[in-house]
Amino acid sequence: MKLKKQITNAISNAITYLLWLFFIANLSYLVYSYPNIPQWVYNDILKINGFTILIWTLVTFFSALIGSYGKNYLKGFKYHSKFSILCFGFTLSIMTFVMSNHIILLLITWLLMGVFMSMIIGVDSRWGEAKEAAKFALKYFLAGSIFLGTGMFLLAFSTQSYTLSEILLKVDALPKYLTIISGLFIITAAIIQSAIYPFHRWLLSAMTAPTPASALMHAGFVNGSGILLALFSTVLFASNTLIILFVIGGLTAVIAQFTKLIQVNVKQKLACSTIAQMGFMIMQCGLGLFNAAVVHLILHGFYKAYLFLSSGEAVRQEKPKKPLYITIKPIQALIVLFFGVCGALMFSFSTGKGLGLNSSIFLTLIVAITVGQVTYNIVKEQSLTLLQKAFLPPILFMSGIITYALMYNFVTALMISMPMVAEPLPLSALEVGFGVVFLIGFFMMKLGAYRRYPWLYVKLMNITQPYKKTILMYKSK
Amino acid sequence: MINQTINKSISEASQVIGKTWPLYSFVTSNPLSGYEKKPFFEAVNHAEKRFNAQVYPEVSLFREAWERGYIHKERLNHLLKENDFLKSPEYYLEQMNNIERPIGINANNDLDRFMTKWLAAFMDEGLAEWDMPNKEKGFYEAWRKLVIYDQEIPKTSIAEIPKTPGETVESILNGFSESDILEIFKQHLAALPGWTGYINYRCESNSEWQQKYPITLIEYLAVRLWTAQKINAQIHSKTNDELSNPNISKLQYIWLKAWEKGWQVEMEKLISEQQLNTKSIKNLKQQTEAQMVFCIDTRSELIRRHIENKGNYETFGYAGFFGIAMDYEDLNNGIIRKSCPPIVKSAYHVNEVPQENCSEEVEVYKKKNEHVKFKNYFLKRLKNMLPSAFGFVEGSGGFYGLYMIFRTLLPEYLLRFKKLNSRHHESIFQTEIHNSGCETNDTQNIPLREKVAIVKSGFDLMGWKDFAPLVVFVGHGSHSANNPFGSSLDCGACAASPGRHNARMLAKLANMSEVKQVLRENHNIEIPPHTIFVGAEHNTTTDEIVLFDAEVPSSHFEELQKLKSNLEKARQTATQERLGVAQNSIALANKKANNWGETRPEWGLAKNAGFIVGPRNLTKHANLEGRCFLHSYDWETDKEGAALEAIMQGPVVVTQWINNHYYFSTVNNETFGGGSKITHNVTGKFGVVQGNGGDLKMGLPLQSLMQSDSKMYHQPLRLSVVIQAPLSRVSSILVKNENLKSLLDNEWIYLLVMDPADNNKWYQYERNLNWLSTKVTQSVEKDLDYIIQEEANEVLV
Repeated sequence: MKLKKQITNAISNAITYLLWLFFIANLSYLVYSYPNIPQWVYNDILKINGFTILIWTLVTFFSALIGSYGKNYLKGFKYHSKFSILCFGFTLSIMTFVMSNHIILLLITWLLMGVFMSMIIGVDSRWGEAKEAAKFALKYFLAGSIFLGTGMFLLAFSTQSYTLSEILLKVDALPKYLTIISGLFIITAAIIQSAIYPFHRWLLSAMTAPTPASALMHAGFVNGSGILLALFSTVLFASNTLIILFVIGGLTAVIAQFTKLIQVNVKQKLACSTIAQMGFMIMQCGLGLFNAAVVHLILHGFYKAYLFLSSGEAVRQEKPKKPLYITIKPIQALIVLFFGVCGALMFSFSTGKGLGLNSSIFLTLIVAITVGQVTYNIVKEQSLTLLQKAFLPPILFMSGIITYALMYNFVTALMISMPMVAEPLPLSALEVGFGVVFLIGFFMMKLGAYRRYPWLYVKLMNITQPYKKTILMYKSK
Repeated sequence: MINQTINKSISEASQVIGKTWPLYSFVTSNPLSGYEKKPFFEAVNHAEKRFNAQVYPEVSLFREAWERGYIHKERLNHLLKENDFLKSPEYYLEQMNNIERPIGINANNDLDRFMTKWLAAFMDEGLAEWDMPNKEKGFYEAWRKLVIYDQEIPKTSIAEIPKTPGETVESILNGFSESDILEIFKQHLAALPGWTGYINYRCESNSEWQQKYPITLIEYLAVRLWTAQKINAQIHSKTNDELSNPNISKLQYIWLKAWEKGWQVEMEKLISEQQLNTKSIKNLKQQTEAQMVFCIDTRSELIRRHIENKGNYETFGYAGFFGIAMDYEDLNNGIIRKSCPPIVKSAYHVNEVPQENCSEEVEVYKKKNEHVKFKNYFLKRLKNMLPSAFGFVEGSGGFYGLYMIFRTLLPEYLLRFKKLNSRHHESIFQTEIHNSGCETNDTQNIPLREKVAIVKSGFDLMGWKDFAPLVVFVGHGSHSANNPFGSSLDCGACAASPGRHNARMLAKLANMSEVKQVLRENHNIEIPPHTIFVGAEHNTTTDEIVLFDAEVPSSHFEELQKLKSNLEKARQTATQERLGVAQNSIALANKKANNWGETRPEWGLAKNAGFIVGPRNLTKHANLEGRCFLHSYDWETDKEGAALEAIMQGPVVVTQWINNHYYFSTVNNETFGGGSKITHNVTGKFGVVQGNGGDLKMGLPLQSLMQSDSKMYHQPLRLSVVIQAPLSRVSSILVKNENLKSLLDNEWIYLLVMDPADNNKWYQYERNLNWLSTKVTQSVEKDLDYIIQEEANEVLV
């Protein structure tokens, strides 16, 4: 009994230390060789470049961190070592995935990621609902792999090449209908992984995983689609399917942000937020800005992992309160506008986007509005002095934009060897039209207009219910 | 007419469910409190059938107890034989092991799921940004207005649903007999005992949320029955009245009793040895430098022992609300919380007012508090809104990443940093007491007579004689990070609030010269002019004791410094013992307190099994391993028995709640406890569910009770109360208090009396005011076993 416990601890500890070691090695290598990371190729099978190392660094970081967190958190858990081994397996799959060049290896590792993740969801095999949740998620992941496989093999057969790099070189010569079909398959695989509407339900039913596993899932699994799409960006450009990503991502971002409003369980609330953020990431891909999407998946990973790991803090006694509506004075509005423009300018120059009229303007616009919202909340706060009101907004948005820009430039430099990952598109009417939809969503939310529609409440509630077999299916836990 | 029957039946049926307390003030109460009028054995058998739940310790726990020798062999054999079980204990262990409780499919999955969906949405206390529409009209009406849009059930129109819950219930149950109706109610209430228990809590506490958004059991039943009918779920399911295995239940009960007896014998032995010891070293009584009063909480035992051996200190045990039946108004958010036992009605309201000459610091403090509030609001706003949610993540993600590394890898440094940046408001504010309901009127202070009564009753109950220069009232609170069950580690006597404010209030009252004067003139209690009372807090997670000494005059500076340095030493040795390490114990305790990944920051009241009412001398040199509540009491100063009666009516009942809660959460953590923390999902800011959702969890989590998923920490035993007082006095109190007598007769707790009038002979309470004399004699040295002789010596009252 005691021996078994020691072995359990030893396994989990060894894995955690190994992961930290991996992480430090990767990070040091990145920093040391930045910005010129040499590309390394092994036959037709493996290919390692700056982007590969970047993702390795990221995923080992998250795995190591949740290993350390889990050391206390999962102490005494019957399946602690199983959990550690599964997480390790997951980490290795994603690492192999990003260095794969052969499509069969790509497919296998993509599938393995899903298999490991579903096993983590059902890690507590004493628990009926957890097993149901694992099964449910696995169905999605299998479907995702089938879509990915079909898309890739379609490309492979028509180009007679089985490595990613060769396929990408030959894509432009393929007939359009072929690239469109395979593009659609790959997109479907991606949005299943990211739990994009209407494939979102597996994520909302995955809370049977221990909290640190959820952190890993939301920081290192759902955003796998960002990586996948970045790898296949050439196909998406060639098939003109970016606009689909843009619309699906954008719609999901808005809908999921609304579903988040009504969530009463903290983990489901976080999941809705993840779906929205993934929608946003997919939308960035749809704008041709795959590098921005990768930055988003990294920063969102930090953010969401933190929120999951601290989700026990949500217990708190509060008083019932009415939603409050704030009005703003003209002079305050002017300050908001001024800082918003400052933020936008700072953002577009620090990320090298310039002010050209192309799809990046969307991101600039979002930054401007965010800065505006930051300023707006601060200037009308009564407990702050005039001086604080004047300096707090620029301090906050500047530090935010600077850290973002650092990360952005770093990632962009590492992805330099990849084709077609930072190609802003010219603005089309459809994109502008959708931008308007986005703005309507913003105003509806801001003004609280949604509160007038009870049917909407029920609709949002029902589309975010977990799969029915994953709650209250069995008599006891 | 029928409506009356329905109401009556509901209130009767609601006995099957307990009360689920919100996690922000988590009171450990008996989940089977509705069954307390029945004998324990019967009650748990009922519960077993009703919830399909394990109600005795798992066989693995019995095995562990057996192997560790907690269960005395002779005693067990004897009990087995008495009940016609003639084989060996090992045989029966195996027999109990072979019983499997099949995990069945929940036939009412859909119905239960729909209910939790609406209940969770309605009862939310501020987690969702968008509240359920029409919430203020009450659960039934809000549901009625929304369910017509629900596409998970067959289409329906508002005209189909009666306007009031009563009409709904009546129309559906029309035709059922009265006894069927009762059974139907029981079944549907017990289907989701966590949620219905929370409805129970809201109705009884009439919390602010309940006042604003009312929900009652009849509304729940109406919604549930209506839905059941709509989706063709069973309204009345057949139940079997038979226990699945009556013989096994009996066996388990016998094993439990043998285990409890083992503990009682051990406790008796510890205390009896103690008496031999104290007789020999009774002589040297030096000048006591300080007296410290701790809560009766089991965690006080350890720290008291360590403080006592650091100097001339005397310690006392007293219910941690320090006799002040009060509500406390939080300075920072204005929330009013109960800060006295849940069985006591709050007579007073205590809030904070600035100390003299502190106006500047108070201003700064208030500003800072405003800023914290703004920060929280600001972050929430940015995260929730479109499109700032996206921009915010990109701007702040890096910072979250850094902070995450710190919190995971260096929690103890973060604590140091946090401490540097925060200050206790206690150093610039003081407590002020008002009559409940008059809190707005500042001049309306409570009459001197009541102030005196509060102070006097404390000294009476504890049997206080002399006063040291420093008298410290030590409340206790826990400090843990990222812990939804944080309040379950706070003071149980203060309804799961930290007890520091009660301690400060009592110190303030006792320091008042007019109070001292009345005590001296009318009550013959002489408090020397040099004696100062101070409030303090024992941080049970780190064993740090913080004195709130901002107003202590400089004359006591030296004494205070000495005490503080000794408390620091006590902290070191206490944490060493508690955490089982020889080095860096304080750092380890600090780490546990501030590590966001720590699921067992401290053990709370786990292992509680005894309650000793008597002077400290009884237990002073014994290591009780934090298993006993200790209440100071001196039978000699309590001539009429009024103090003892108060102790038995109050603290004994509260400890029984705590103990029963620990028992049931341990024997069936899934049903009566909280399950494992690692898959908890906080709901509505007040509770947790497991995984994706389901029933609200009503009890302590696995990590508060067990060392690992299978290894025991808390021993699930019923509380054994030991009182040192004349037997006749105890008996007469029982005669007067039917409630206490019924708890004892029904074996929810045990009572043992050490009769000082009869040479400290031990008696155990048996049914109907009969007493059994027990006697432990130590046999020859080599043999560690103890022979128990029971004389069927009935003492008449």
